Amino acid sequence: MQKPKRKEVTKSVSEAVAQIEDGMTVAVGGLGADNHPMAVVREIIKQKKKNLTVVGSATAGLDIDLLIGAGCAKKVIAPYVGLEMYCPIGHNFRKYAESGEIEIWECSEYILYAGLFAAASGQDFLSWHGGIGSSVPKLNKDLVEFTDPIGGKKKYLAVPAIRPDWSIIHVGWSDAYGNGQHVGAPFGDRWLARAANRIMLCAERIVPNSFIRKNPFMTSVSYADCVVEAPYGAHPYAAHGFYHADDEHIKDYVNCSNANRKGDTKKWDDYLKRTTHDPKDHVEYLEGIGIRKLLGLYEHPVVSW
Amino acid sequence: MSDYNWKEMMAILFSREIEDGDRITSGAHTEIFFAANMLAQKTHAPNTKLQLGGTCFLCNVSDQEIDSLPKTSTDYSLLKYAETVHDHAETFIFYGPPGGEEYYKEGSTFRDTNHFWFADKFFVGGIQVDKYGSANLIGLGEPGNMTFRGPGSIGINDIVATVRDVYVFITAHDTRRLVEEVDFISFPGKKICREVGYMGGGPKWIVTPKAIFDFDPDSLTARLHALFPGVSLDDVKQNTGFEVVSNGEVQTIEPPNRDELEILRNEVDKTGVLRA
Repeated sequence: MQKPKRKEVTKSVSEAVAQIEDGMTVAVGGLGADNHPMAVVREIIKQKKKNLTVVGSATAGLDIDLLIGAGCAKKVIAPYVGLEMYCPIGHNFRKYAESGEIEIWECSEYILYAGLFAAASGQDFLSWHGGIGSSVPKLNKDLVEFTDPIGGKKKYLAVPAIRPDWSIIHVGWSDAYGNGQHVGAPFGDRWLARAANRIMLCAERIVPNSFIRKNPFMTSVSYADCVVEAPYGAHPYAAHGFYHADDEHIKDYVNCSNANRKGDTKKWDDYLKRTTHDPKDHVEYLEGIGIRKLLGLYEHPVVSW
Repeated sequence: MSDYNWKEMMAILFSREIEDGDRITSGAHTEIFFAANMLAQKTHAPNTKLQLGGTCFLCNVSDQEIDSLPKTSTDYSLLKYAETVHDHAETFIFYGPPGGEEYYKEGSTFRDTNHFWFADKFFVGGIQVDKYGSANLIGLGEPGNMTFRGPGSIGINDIVATVRDVYVFITAHDTRRLVEEVDFISFPGKKICREVGYMGGGPKWIVTPKAIFDFDPDSLTARLHALFPGVSLDDVKQNTGFEVVSNGEVQTIEPPNRDELEILRNEVDKTGVLRA
C-alpha cells in the first residue's frame, strides 16, 4: 500500500505573490523597524498589484508606506504609518492621504486588534472601551458607538471584524508544512495570522519538520497556507535574532520618499526601479545591497532555544 | 551642574516622578522615557514593572548593565533586559486598574493583586496639544480635507481609558503645537475623560522643553506648574497658544543633581543618545 504524503506548501516568492489578486485585503506583519516581510512586499510591487486594502501592523513602518508609494494601495487600515526615529510620518502616507488618493480607516492599536480578534473568533464585531471621546469614531463611520446594553452607562465602540484575504508574516524559520517560529518578539503577528483567510510566511530559513518538533512551544503560526524562504527577507528592516536594521538604506528610503512627497518623482521612481523592478528576484536584490553590507548587519541571538 | 540639555532634564524629571512599584508602559520612539524609567530602576525604584516599548518585553535593569540606551521600541537588543515577553495586543486587554475604578480613588489598595499589567503611568506625544491636554496625532485641517496628515493615533486612546497618570509631552514649545483646541483628538484630555466616565485619570501634566502644566481641578484646563531651569515666564507666555494661567507663584524645576546626572550618563546613556 502506498502511504499518503503530507502536502508541502513551500513556494518561490513570485509564485506565492501570484496568488494575491488585485482588490484583495492584505495584512503585513512586523512592528516598527522590525520583522516586516519585505521580500514579499517588494514582489507585490514588482507584480503591480492594484487596489489593495492594506492592513498594517499596530506600528506599520515603511512597508506600508512603500506599498502606498508604489500605487498598490487604495485603502489603508493602520493606527500608525511611519518609522519612529527615522521618519515620524511616512512620506508617501502623508502625500496620498493629503491628496485623498488613499482611503484611511482611522483607528488605534487596540481597535485594529479588536477587529482582528472579531474575525479570528468568528464574530461580526467586538466591543472596546477605548476610542470613545476621541475623533477616531467621527472619522471612521464603520465604528459604531453604543451604550452598555446590560445596564451600565458607559459608551463602547462596536469594532467590525477585519478579515484579511492574506496575512503575510515574517518568521525566523518554518518547516515545509507551514509551521513557523518567531525567534524574537511575536508583536501582533499571531493576531494578524488568526484573523486571515490565508497565511503566507516569509521565513529566513526553511527547516526540517524534526527541528520544529524539538520545540513546538515556539511555533507561533501553524499550518500556514504558503511558505517562502527568503534569507534577509526583512531587509532593510531588522529580523529579530538574525540581523539589525540597515540604517543607511532606510535613510535613503526616507530621502527618496520625501522627494516624492514634494513632487520630485524621479528620485522615487529610481528607488523603486533599483529595489523592486530591476532585480529579477530576491537574491538579485540582495546582490544589489552587497555582501559586505549584509554581513555587517549580523546580530547574535540574545537567547538560546 | 549646568552642563545638561533639556532631554536629560526631562528624563531626570520623569525619573523623579516614578515611585517604586509603579507599573509603567513606555511607548514608541521615546528614548527620553526609556532613560527616565531605567534611571528610576537604578536610583530609587528597582521594583518598577516596566514594559519597554512595543516589543512587549517586561524589563528590569536595576542590576543590569546597559550597553547603550535603546532608541526604538521594537529593537531586538531590548531582549537583553527582558524577563518576559507577551503578544503586543495583550498590552491593551489587560491594561487596566486591578480592582476597577476604586483603585484610582483609594490609592494602592489593590496594587498587590495584579502582578503584571500596566495602569500607573504612560507617556503620550502629539503634533498638537491643547489646554485640556488632548493630543492630536491624526492631522491638521478638516475631516476629509487634511492639510497635514499625521502618523495616526497609535495606541494612545486605548490606554487612556484605564491608565492613572498620563504625561503628555512635546519636544518643542511653540504656538503651533500648544493650541487652544486641537484639530483632531487622538488622546482625549482631562475634561473628556471625566465626561465619558473613563476609569483613567487622563493627563496629569503637559511637559515641554520649557515648562510643566498641570490641571485646574475645577475647569480641568492647563495651568502653569513649573518652569525649566533658565526659562522665563514671558518666554512661555509668548510661545503658548492658550492663555497661560497659574495657581500662585510658579516654581522652577530643580536642576539635575550630581548623582542623577552621573548615573544617567555612566549607567543608562553611556553612548550619549540624549546628548546627540
